[in-house]
This record gives sequence, structure tokens and C-alpha cells, in this order.
Amino acid sequence: MRELFKNRLQRHLREMAKYLRLVFNDFFVFALLFFMGGLGLGYSNILKSLKPGLWWAPVVALLVLVIVAQIGRFATLIEDADRVFLLPKERAMHDYFVAARRYSQFLAQCTQVITLFILASFLSVALHWTVAKILILAVAQIVLKDSLLRLDLASAYQVTGQRRMNQWGFKWLLAIIVIASGLWVTPYVALVLALVADGAVAVWFQQHWQKQQIRWREQIKLEDNRMLGIYRFFNLFTEVPMVSGTIKRRRYLDWLFTGIKPKHSQTYLYLFSRGMVRGTDFSGLVVRLTVIGMLLLYFVRGQWLPVFLAALFIYLIGFQLLPFFQQYDDVVFTHVYPVLPEFRLKSFVKLVTLILSTAALLLWVVVVIANRQLETAGITLLVEAVEVWYLARIYTPQRLARADKNKA
Amino acid sequence: MALEVSHVVGGYSQIPVLKDISFDVKDGELVGLIGLNGAGKSTTINHVIGLLTPHKGKISLNGVTIDQDSQAYKQQIAYIPETPVLYQELTLREHLEMTMMAYDLDQEKAWVTAHKLLKTFRLDNKLDWFPANFSKGMKQKVMIVCAFLTQAKLFIIDEPFLGLDPLAVNDLLNLIEARKKTGASILMSTHVLDTAQRYCDRFVLLHDGQVKTEGTLSELQAALPEAGESLNDIYLSMTKVDRA
Repeated sequence: MRELFKNRLQRHLREMAKYLRLVFNDFFVFALLFFMGGLGLGYSNILKSLKPGLWWAPVVALLVLVIVAQIGRFATLIEDADRVFLLPKERAMHDYFVAARRYSQFLAQCTQVITLFILASFLSVALHWTVAKILILAVAQIVLKDSLLRLDLASAYQVTGQRRMNQWGFKWLLAIIVIASGLWVTPYVALVLALVADGAVAVWFQQHWQKQQIRWREQIKLEDNRMLGIYRFFNLFTEVPMVSGTIKRRRYLDWLFTGIKPKHSQTYLYLFSRGMVRGTDFSGLVVRLTVIGMLLLYFVRGQWLPVFLAALFIYLIGFQLLPFFQQYDDVVFTHVYPVLPEFRLKSFVKLVTLILSTAALLLWVVVVIANRQLETAGITLLVEAVEVWYLARIYTPQRLARADKNKA
Repeated sequence: MALEVSHVVGGYSQIPVLKDISFDVKDGELVGLIGLNGAGKSTTINHVIGLLTPHKGKISLNGVTIDQDSQAYKQQIAYIPETPVLYQELTLREHLEMTMMAYDLDQEKAWVTAHKLLKTFRLDNKLDWFPANFSKGMKQKVMIVCAFLTQAKLFIIDEPFLGLDPLAVNDLLNLIEARKKTGASILMSTHVLDTAQRYCDRFVLLHDGQVKTEGTLSELQAALPEAGESLNDIYLSMTKVDRA
């Protein structure tokens, strides 16, 4: 069973490596460096302005630590077929799960350590903590995460009480109690509490698991969701066949469509606009890129850097929108409807113009707020306007025409 | 002469699936396209709706080919696919509205027709649902409603009887009958031979990418006198000849 997990893990890591290579392409690394730099600079500026003894400093630390404690899920790598093929091996699955927990542990604890490393300077400045105290808190956090993962492991079995204990409310409460005691009382208490919790869960689970059935359905669903989350992330950068995206009705956004009159020439604008808003794939991409761009621009000062970054993000959004044109090629009616291809292209250009203009406007507002300089604001607006016009009206039709020709 | 398919050679790749096919569908006529799996029925339909381009030969609809004027050609066609195809992000109401926009129909008049059709197929209370989540039969009904919303001159229906409940089959046949009376033509592929025998005016029997025979039931019976009375018998004997 341990072998099985090892094999799966190898396959899984190979797959992840394949995608990670695609994710960390030059472009993204570039953007990421900027982003990290911006954040780092902002963080150190904030640290410099902090005075010790602020009442909200421990609250911030509590929030960060409790949220981070929930990051890092139990990665079982279980597959749907397992509940048929591995059912006879139910008892032996325990070794598999233990191996899975060890792997999850490694990933999750890396996150915890990195977080505490970043938070350490905040703790020492805002709370005047010594290195020893911070280290103790770090150990408490790691033990806490260990017990949370133990609960996840326990939830793979049908223990009645366990189900209640594994509810997210319980996990959050445990984290809050442990971390809060560490921040307001002393980290030593937190460490003791975490150790007690971890030990209690471990002993209790050891006594119970042998008499319990595995909750296959739930575990498979959890693992599927976990993988889907990972694939979704990769899907931001490259095509992932496992992700088809989901559709949400989003009735509250229906007002967006009122401007589109039911005219023959706008048949595809009717479709594209709804597809864009209700599908999570492309709309998520646009929203995420816009939000990241806005955050980044908020921290960036200077004459030319904001202009350059705003232009970069508009280009990224516009570029990623292109494949949406082919979104409906699989639907036979896209070819059967008596609508001229020109109308379809025009509709798409209109949609791209609308989306890019909105994104450009939002980015521009952030630039204005962050810089409060007439010149920068003016130049950004001008550059953005030209770029949106060029991307939507010239570049998009050209690229799509070329893609069309290649296919034929 | 509504649809005229003459000497079409075609298929998905360079290897032709259809080997020199010719047949026609006249105004107000229901023609059944009959053949085994892989005989070339769907390929024929894909050529007619313009999804595939023939290597050789010509397909014209009331004198227009798709190359001459794709807009005028497509305007005359309504298509009901075998497997229902829907836009995931559109509600039922929006599917209907989109069809109206695509065929440039008068919205008010079209909605009157639409409500009648929706009522017939018991979909009138599901206008704001995503049909993508419907059962297969209900999705098929959505396809039927969208197609019969148009004023198409040629309806192309790919295997309509599998998946529909008996009531809906009956309603569909009534709709087809009514459209025939107004002069529309229908090309329908199916495996449900006894229904086809009762309703189709003529048959095109496809086999191995060729038109084996074509004609009314009595013409088929005359051509293969020893085969038997029903379309089913004729069809079976035709495939047997080939297997021997």
C-alpha cells in the first residue's frame, strides 16, 4: 500500500512538474518578481512606521496564523476507481493514508514555516518578541497544523464523533484558541495546548480507526476538489484538459446585458457576453489579473513604472481573452446559424473592447490614487487608450484571422 | 426541388466516406435517410448543413449553394442534432431568443410560436433554467422547439425518436406533418424503421457510403420483390446481400 502511494506520488509530482514548468514562464516570473518586490517594499515600509504596543498587532498576527493554519489540505491522491478496486483492501488502506498524511504534512509545514519567517519581523517590531519566543510560537504552529492534518486523516473514516470534530468550525476554533493563547498569554502555553491537542487526537484515532469503514465517496470528492483547485490554478497559464470550468447563473449581473438589443447583428454579442459573465474560466481570469494589477499598481510609485505596468496588465488580459472566440466552436449551431462570420468577429471585438476598457479604467483609477500626479495620470490614460484600441480593434481581428487560416 | 444532392464525394479527411451520392428532397416531402451505423448518414447530414465541404459534387437548396451565398443557404435550414447540443451559459429563454436573433425573426411573432411549442413539450415552466442540466429527452425537446421556431424550408432531423417519450414523439410527428403542409421539406435519419415506414414519403437507403436504393415504399418493394413487405425486411435483406 505504501508502494501504491509512492507510485502515485511520483506520477503526481511528474505531472505537477510539467505544469509548473509552464506556469513559471519568463513572463510570469517577471511579473512575480515585480509583485514580490512591491509587496516586500510595502511591508518593510509598514514595519518602519510601526510603534510597539499597538492593540491591533496581535489581532493581525492571529488572523494570519489561523488562516495559514488551514492552508495545506490532506492530499490523498485517491481516485474514483479506488472505491471499486481497493474496496477489498480497506484495512490495508490505513498505511496508504498514513503515507499520504506524511506527504501532506511536508507541503503544509513548508507553508507554515515560510509564513512565520515573514511574520517574525512583524512580531519582533510590533510586539517586541525575542527570537526564542518566536521560535516557540513557530513550533506551536507546526504542531497545531499536525493535529489539524490528523483530524483530516480521521475524517477519512466513518467515526461518528469524528465527523463533528472535523467540521471546519472545530478546526478554526482549535487554531484560534491555540494561537490566541500564544499571542496574548505566552507562546509556551500555545505549545503545550497544541501538543495536548495533537496527542489527544492521535491517541483517540489510534483506538478507533480499526473498527471503522472508509468514507470513500467523501474522500474521493475531497481529493477531486483539491486537484480541481490545482488544475484551475494551472489553467490560468496554460490549457489543462481536466478543467472545463463551471457555470454560475449570476442573476445579479443580468443588468449588464440590458444594453445588448436583440438584433440579428448582435447574435454573438448576446452569447459572448453571457458566456463571459457566467462561465468561471475567462471571467475569473480577467478579474484575477485586474485585481493583481490593481494591487501591484497601488504599491508602485514613479513616473514610468506605473504606465509600463498598467500597459503590461492590459496586454496580459487582452492576450488571454483571444481563445474565448473559439469557445463555442464545438457547438454545431455556431456553424449552422445563418449569421455572417463578420458579425461574429465584430461582436467579439466589441466584447474585448468593453472588457479591456473597464480593466484599463480600474487600473487607471488606482494609478491616480497611488501617485496623485497629473502628468503620470495623463500619460497612463493616453497609453491605455491607445493600447486598448490597438489590442481590440487591430490585433485581435488579425490574430483570429490568422488562427482561422491555419485551421483551414 | 428543395434540396438537391448530386454526385457528392466527401468525408472528414482525404479518405472519402461518401462515394458519389445523389438524392433529392422535394417541397413538402419527408425523406427518411436509412442505413447501418457507419453507413454515412451523419456524414451526409454534416455535408448538407455545411459543416463539411464536399470533395466533389454539389449540394444546392432551392438553387443556392453554400459557396454562392452561405447566409441565404443557412437561413433555409433548421437542424436538430442526434445528441442535443446546447450553450452551457444560456437559459432556455435565452436559447430561444438567440435562435430568433440568429434567424432574424420578428421577436413578438416568434414568441407566440415559442410559447405554443413550449406548452406542447411541457417546457413552459422552465424558461429560466439552464437546459444544459436537463435530461437527454428534455434537451432534445429544446432542440425541437428551437428548430420549429424558425421558418426554415428544410428541416434536418438526425435520429429524433431515441430518447423522446412516446408523447413527445407523437407531438414531433404532428409538427412535421403541419410543416409539410406549408411546403417545408424534411430530411430525417433514423433507425426506428416502423415509425419511418408509416410517416416518410420516400426513403434513401445508404450503405457503405453509397445510395443503395431510393424511392417510396412500394418502389422499394418492387425493386426487391423477394425481400418482404416491411421496410424492416427490405433493410435487412439489403444488408444481408452485402454480408454474403
